[in-house]
Amino acid sequence: MTMMATECLLELCEQRHELEDYQSGVPRWCTGCGDNAILAAVQRLCRDEGLRPEKTVFVSGIGCSSRFPHYMRTYGFHGIHGRALPVAEGVRLARPDLTVFVNTGDGDCCSIGAAHWIHAIRYNMNMTVFLHDNQIYGLTKMQASPTSPRGTKSNTTPRGSTLEALQPLSVTLGVQNVSFVAQAVDWIPESLFEIVKAAYHHQGFSFVRIVQRCPEWLPKVWDPWLHDPKRILMLDHPQGMQVSDGLKQVYKNQLAHDPSNLDRAREIASDTDRIPVGILYRNPEVPCYEELRATPGLRTTAKLKQGLEAELDKFTFWPQ
Amino acid sequence: MQVEVHPDTAFFLTGRRAGKASAGPVLCPALLAAYRDLTKLRYDFPLVLRANSKDGPLFEPLSALTDRLIEGGAERQQALRVERELRAQAAAAGAVAPAAAAKIDGELVDCDAAMPARLLAHVWRATQEGKAAAFRRTVERLIVKLDDILRADRARSAEGRSAASLKASFGDLHDQAFDFDSMSKFLGTVSVQTTLSDSRRGRIESTLAALRVQRFYPTDGAEALAFRFESCAAALQAFRERVPDVMRLAKAITLAELEVEGEFSSERHDALFERLAASGLDLRDLALFPDYLVCVREAHARGAELDALLEILAGGLPMKILLQTDDLLGEPLAHAGHVPAGAHGRQLAHMALGLNSVYVLQASAAQLAVQRERLLQAMHYPGASLISVFSGAGGHAGDLPPYLVAAAATESRAFPSFSYDPAAGADWASRFSLAGNPQPERDWPLHALAYEDAEHQRVQAQVAFTLMDFAACDARYAEHFAAVPRAGRGAALAPAAECVQRETKGVPDKLPSLFLVDGGDLVHHAIVDDWLLREARRCAEAWRSLQELGGIRNSHAERLLARERQNWEGERAAAAPAPAAVTAAPAAAAAPAATPAAPAEAEKERPADEPYIETPRCSSCDECIQINNKMFAYDANKQARIVDASAGTYRQLVEAAESCQVAIIHPGKPRNPDESGLEDLLKRAESFL
Repeated sequence: MTMMATECLLELCEQRHELEDYQSGVPRWCTGCGDNAILAAVQRLCRDEGLRPEKTVFVSGIGCSSRFPHYMRTYGFHGIHGRALPVAEGVRLARPDLTVFVNTGDGDCCSIGAAHWIHAIRYNMNMTVFLHDNQIYGLTKMQASPTSPRGTKSNTTPRGSTLEALQPLSVTLGVQNVSFVAQAVDWIPESLFEIVKAAYHHQGFSFVRIVQRCPEWLPKVWDPWLHDPKRILMLDHPQGMQVSDGLKQVYKNQLAHDPSNLDRAREIASDTDRIPVGILYRNPEVPCYEELRATPGLRTTAKLKQGLEAELDKFTFWPQ
Repeated sequence: MQVEVHPDTAFFLTGRRAGKASAGPVLCPALLAAYRDLTKLRYDFPLVLRANSKDGPLFEPLSALTDRLIEGGAERQQALRVERELRAQAAAAGAVAPAAAAKIDGELVDCDAAMPARLLAHVWRATQEGKAAAFRRTVERLIVKLDDILRADRARSAEGRSAASLKASFGDLHDQAFDFDSMSKFLGTVSVQTTLSDSRRGRIESTLAALRVQRFYPTDGAEALAFRFESCAAALQAFRERVPDVMRLAKAITLAELEVEGEFSSERHDALFERLAASGLDLRDLALFPDYLVCVREAHARGAELDALLEILAGGLPMKILLQTDDLLGEPLAHAGHVPAGAHGRQLAHMALGLNSVYVLQASAAQLAVQRERLLQAMHYPGASLISVFSGAGGHAGDLPPYLVAAAATESRAFPSFSYDPAAGADWASRFSLAGNPQPERDWPLHALAYEDAEHQRVQAQVAFTLMDFAACDARYAEHFAAVPRAGRGAALAPAAECVQRETKGVPDKLPSLFLVDGGDLVHHAIVDDWLLREARRCAEAWRSLQELGGIRNSHAERLLARERQNWEGERAAAAPAPAAVTAAPAAAAAPAATPAAPAEAEKERPADEPYIETPRCSSCDECIQINNKMFAYDANKQARIVDASAGTYRQLVEAAESCQVAIIHPGKPRNPDESGLEDLLKRAESFL
């Protein structure tokens, strides 16, 4: 097939980026931290999808995981605690041409930012959200977070935490307008990458909880799952993630789960014995907030000025 | 010896009736008798052309709209009464803007000579509005972005940083609160490196000017170019005259996209743009621009007009051409071997199929409501579209309404419906469709006809509707039919459809006959003359070739199937007396047994003493890299591998294996037998081997 002359001219600008083009600085995360695996998967996604660094933005809140934008050579916004999602929503509205990623931790998202989290799901704006869930506040040196298992001993809970852990997947799946929910673990890089890729391709609010090890403050908490492949439940479906033959040999516990089935997704999310890995729910039909609120015209300077003048005129006293 | 020929047979052979100047009463096909007064029937017309298509289709039959209103809670009797009144008004006037009480937002059009052009103009307008909106969005976005570039540059310039400019950027209210001279002086000390070069500014300004003055989709009441024509020659001339403007604007849009993205490079693009100007645009570039609508009557598509039409189609220019045929059969010049006048339009549609790149839709006016989706596809198709329509309003069908004549043309295969969409796929099965034709697998569609015979008994017969029935609708063709008197039928009769299939030489044993009715709905058997029978045969052949294109009775496939069946039967016959062949199978089955051995061999390739990492399982956690970054390194996917096992000690390999969170490092055996503490290390490494 031939190509239009103008298309050829525009295609001349397309550049191939290597992984190094997305790397910025040496991560300060502890050696062995699961954040490194997430960073590698996301950088690989950017390279494979040919994302233009100047058209990509990573937004974060506060915490270990929220240092993520520093290590990406793209645009980034290291925001304030719990407010990664509102900032990302603002970016989406003001610059719909940008690809928006959000990196947030279990403390940042599920504690101080919980209200924003709920409403961001409801808004269903097109962005990819990674919840780095290591079940602990690491940057401030070990305080219990909402996802810490009951009995976790920390600086704020020296006798062990008293409440049952919050399950981020169940919460997300319970909110109106939820459109994409997936779970990955940092120690299976192949599935992590596939899930990150699927989340990126979904049009809407893609929520990925990534179970992540903290080798410094909770080094053993994931060991039962890390060392026992039978406790990983691989979700396999043509409409979701398709588990490779190699992974099937290691992780023999597989479940054919249709990601359009919300009720089944909620059941799977509430499994406390096994960690489900894959796409729990996907509904591409849910409308995005920015599409619902799209204005027909462009916000030109003249139009903005006209609107502003109209508003100001309401309060102007004209000399008699 | 002189042979006595019966007058009916003589009529069949010569088309002339002995001793009679005319063929008797005006007759029409019996199958149409029940439908002559359409105002009392619910059918596809009139059509509602909706002014606002957001809540429904662009156009639809009035009856469909009424049904929806009834489903939505409207009172049934009242809705049907209004529908009946509107239908009668539309039949009388051709087009009606219905009263607001009828809850119809749009215009009503009945099936008449003006309807096809009116309908196409309506659909074309809606399509162009969509294109215009998309185009304006693109151009406005580019204008805003280019303007932003210029404004940002102006703000950075010496002029932008002058005291006067700074003061102007504040309101009057606080202008005394700042010292703009000092501010200007201060800002003047900052070096700004990213100002626009003169050439880039000039390029952006000229691009902006080109985008703002375009006349294809003008805004703010500027004069627009006309894109609707009544002649192909005029449309083609206008298209040619506008080519330079089209190229200028297409170039400006491309250039603006590049500038907005900051990707324009003189070294790379200047030469290409120059070459683009010289070589002209690809026709797909024209998809951005308005399509032309040309409504032509088939009778006028001759000479220069025909040349222009063919040039448009062959060039795939973005024009939607309505070729309307009003008189399909033409004057009956039975004995001159003429080509009927209306066949011209039909032939053009067939010829356009051969061009491969033209969207072709042929349908009678009665079918246009059914063909709505295809009509929309034709309008959205990015090249040339030929829409060949038979209106049925030739004025030779007596009291039969145009809708009925048009429907009869489709039924009789005189004007079959078909569409060819080059964008639908790579093969004919995807592109070509015979949808809309009644009973497309048959030569002629069959319908049930119930009538009362001479003994007042109900008779029901399956009657084919043929080209001859269609010709019977035309008063000019009355002389080709001869009603047979009820008493004294001299020759045996056979249904005309059967006679089409069997060609006989000389005097036929049975004469072809049709069921026709007169003005009083009295059924007559009418003989058809030989000339009309031959025309019907030609029509059937043309239909069969269309059937082949549409995948019905494909002769190639049938021939291939027959050959394969013959081969298969031959092979089966040859294989039957040799049962011993079964014993050969077990030997052949032994071969796959070797296959599972292959992976095992691949695993053996890695020496057991060599250290290795299961790289695909690496979680990039940095543990091993921290221990020795010359021994361990990341690959292109940032996953660890051993690049040089000799770049470190066996101790480091064992420590890396122990610290690896996902236990994917296998230290192998020590290379240096003199390394200290080997015994302990080997013990520690055992669990990772």
